Amino acid sequence: MKIALTINAVAYTFDADPDMPLLWLIRDEAKLKGTKFGCGMALCGACSVHVDGDLIRSCSYPVQLAQGKTITTIEGLSTGPTHLHPIQQAWREVQVPQCGYCQSGFMMAAAHLLEVNKHPTEDDIKNSITNICRCGTHPRILKAILLAAKYKKDEPTQ
Amino acid sequence: MALLYFGRSKIRSGLSKLAAETTFGSGITDFDPTVWFAVNADHTITMRSPKVEMGQGVFTGFAMLAAEELDVAVDTIKVMHASTSAGPQSTAGTGMSNSTASLYVNIREVAATLRETIKLAASTLWKVPVTALQTADGFVYAGTYKASYADIAKQTKTWQVAQTPPLRPASSFRIIGKEQKRVDLDDKILGKADYGIDTDIPGMAYGAVLYSPYFGGELKTADTSLAEKAPGVLKIVPDKRWIGVVATTRFAAEKALTQIRADWSFEPDYATKDAIEAITVGKGDAVVMQDDGNAVDELTGDILTSEYRTPIGFHASMEPGIVVADVSGDNVNIVTSTQNVTFMRQTIADQTDLNEDDIQITPAFLGGGFGRRGYKHNAVEAIKLSRAAGKPVHLLYTRQQEFQNGYVRPNTHHILSGRLDKTGKIAAIQHEFATGSMAFLALPMAKPILGADFMVAGHGARIPYSIPHIKTTIWNGELPFETGLWRGVGMFANTFATESFMDELAGKAGADPLTFRTEHCGDTGLLRRRKSLLLNLGKKAGWYTPKADTIGRGIAVSEDRNTISAVIVEVQLVDQKIKILRVIQAIDAGTIINPNGVRQQVEGATMMAISAALYEEAAIENSQFVQTNFHNYQVVTLRDTPLIEVIIQESTEAPSGVGESPLSPVAPAIANAVYNLTGVRLRSLPLQSALDTHYRKDKRDL
Repeated sequence: MKIALTINAVAYTFDADPDMPLLWLIRDEAKLKGTKFGCGMALCGACSVHVDGDLIRSCSYPVQLAQGKTITTIEGLSTGPTHLHPIQQAWREVQVPQCGYCQSGFMMAAAHLLEVNKHPTEDDIKNSITNICRCGTHPRILKAILLAAKYKKDEPTQ
Repeated sequence: MALLYFGRSKIRSGLSKLAAETTFGSGITDFDPTVWFAVNADHTITMRSPKVEMGQGVFTGFAMLAAEELDVAVDTIKVMHASTSAGPQSTAGTGMSNSTASLYVNIREVAATLRETIKLAASTLWKVPVTALQTADGFVYAGTYKASYADIAKQTKTWQVAQTPPLRPASSFRIIGKEQKRVDLDDKILGKADYGIDTDIPGMAYGAVLYSPYFGGELKTADTSLAEKAPGVLKIVPDKRWIGVVATTRFAAEKALTQIRADWSFEPDYATKDAIEAITVGKGDAVVMQDDGNAVDELTGDILTSEYRTPIGFHASMEPGIVVADVSGDNVNIVTSTQNVTFMRQTIADQTDLNEDDIQITPAFLGGGFGRRGYKHNAVEAIKLSRAAGKPVHLLYTRQQEFQNGYVRPNTHHILSGRLDKTGKIAAIQHEFATGSMAFLALPMAKPILGADFMVAGHGARIPYSIPHIKTTIWNGELPFETGLWRGVGMFANTFATESFMDELAGKAGADPLTFRTEHCGDTGLLRRRKSLLLNLGKKAGWYTPKADTIGRGIAVSEDRNTISAVIVEVQLVDQKIKILRVIQAIDAGTIINPNGVRQQVEGATMMAISAALYEEAAIENSQFVQTNFHNYQVVTLRDTPLIEVIIQESTEAPSGVGESPLSPVAPAIANAVYNLTGVRLRSLPLQSALDTHYRKDKRDL
């Protein structure tokens, strides 16, 4: 079926199997490779993106549900290295990534968390983000999200 | 059997001692600077790394070493993977935590040689003696002459490679030892780093392969008629042990795969209990790894004996195995996430009609390694699919295949016995253990010669303390599934057993666990370093300060080829669940190149160790692994994160590895802390299920 959707402010139309996971459309059709595959069952969060502002695990989200919707992936979280999202700024400051593979998903989850909870406590973060990282960057992720919340507070309101 | 008999002797325990102490080489022999580096017109310098970046920070460490001698800023060096056709080749793969340590001198030498080569070229251009030239910030100077390396390169047609100069002394280091941000940081924050899975070649199709989920399963019959008609399917490729599908999208390939009806022949009914029975001290070939004094005769009278077990574990790298193969004629181009290019190339040549020279492999960033990408891979399948479809093929393991069709950390069994002398010191100790092999997956021919895998699965089994009578024996158990390398190799299981037992002996002696360990260290070599690390850790972590009754404190230490890691863990029980509050890790890895890189590795190893210690366990039913994805293979999440502090010991010794050593002492330190808190001694991993079993028994007894 024809799928029309917006990814990172660009309008796309694809002909795709309606049951195909959104992840493969993002990666293999729109060629945005920052969103990763980890488990295929919405368990690890490596494929996390925002769909109309909601946090979605795209490996288990059929493209037909994305019809007409607005998707943000890691590539659209900021406009480039000089205009980083507070989450990315904090990620850089704390130097979170090791292999880096799960980090896009973590950053998308963290960015969403700060939208719904501007001042999360460490326990809030631990209870809301269940993504998996195998390199063990967890202590730095916690630190970076707390720091990003501070950066966001300091941002002038638009 | 003469060979086996001959091999079962002092020669093997000698080899074992050698293996425990040897630091392995880099597997690289080519140190021509023009092979390693390219000076670019945009003033950057390309460095081709023969070791792969899997998160361990090797690109950053290498850039630092090169920049130190090249007189440039670290971010001038753009590190990329060497491929089989460009850059230096490593026959040793990437692993054993030895990339930086084994190349610490070589990379500085090759960079210094490049610097002198550029100076030599400038000297020819300017007709100025080399001795009058100086370098700084990527420029060559001589009096009023000044030119960038890029300008010199532009004007130089053929390089005359200079003699390798003496290296700069540590006292003049500008970069080595200083905090350095990772060179791959920004790409990884922007989602721009390219992993194997991100490879996208025009005209590429997608593969999916059906493997037997059963150990040793052979394909009996398969009905592919539905799959052949499925939308998007380009090719069905049956092979002896698998069936492949090539389709226009991954989804189409995977959907078609579910429509194949395959019947596998296999030996049924193998279960976890069979693997436990197979891996039991006394079964299979035995090799004595250590025999100091006369431990067997000395172990009489008041003996303490304990048994420990560790389970089968998965690597669970976040990026599953991935190969993109593009076959054209007798050549193949491969892009992949691998820890071992050489092995992949050899196995492809062995299993296809391609010659090694016609196999081009380019590694990409790895989404985790942990030993899983050292050996078994899906490159041969990808090549066969690409050849059949006449297109480049992107072939990815599913998570289930990554778990069921890869290789695993073998389960182990340990029996430790010890006797104390009148002063409460250990008079004699014996460690007998059984394990599946980690090395024989890649080196099956070594098995009859070595008898048991004392080199890799046996790593960390020797008792490193100063004790008059010590004996260590490994038993090689046979398992029907593939077992292999896992971060820290044998150290994870062996340290759990030996450092738990040290605690039990300390308890019997009525001694403080930290003091008990230092009293068995002596004052020379690595034992001196072990002792001072333990003392420093104890002081900084507040080992001797009082703690709340609700907190348990445990300590353990290990040693991995000249690196020592000691750790103190504080735990609490919340609703009978182990909650780790604080982990203080001390590491002595000799000279430190990038303190931030070391802290990342120590923190990461700590989290991976907590995961394996508390939760991870693969079970077997009906000749297959029960666990198929993260819903039934629990790993740590943010919720499990304790406060982690890292203490880096100052040292002027040669650098040694940091990726594996800090992982090993965490599990025994947790078990020792749980004992300290509850008086319950947990002797099997994962610890949470051992504790659950204990409480269930308690309940029954009431």
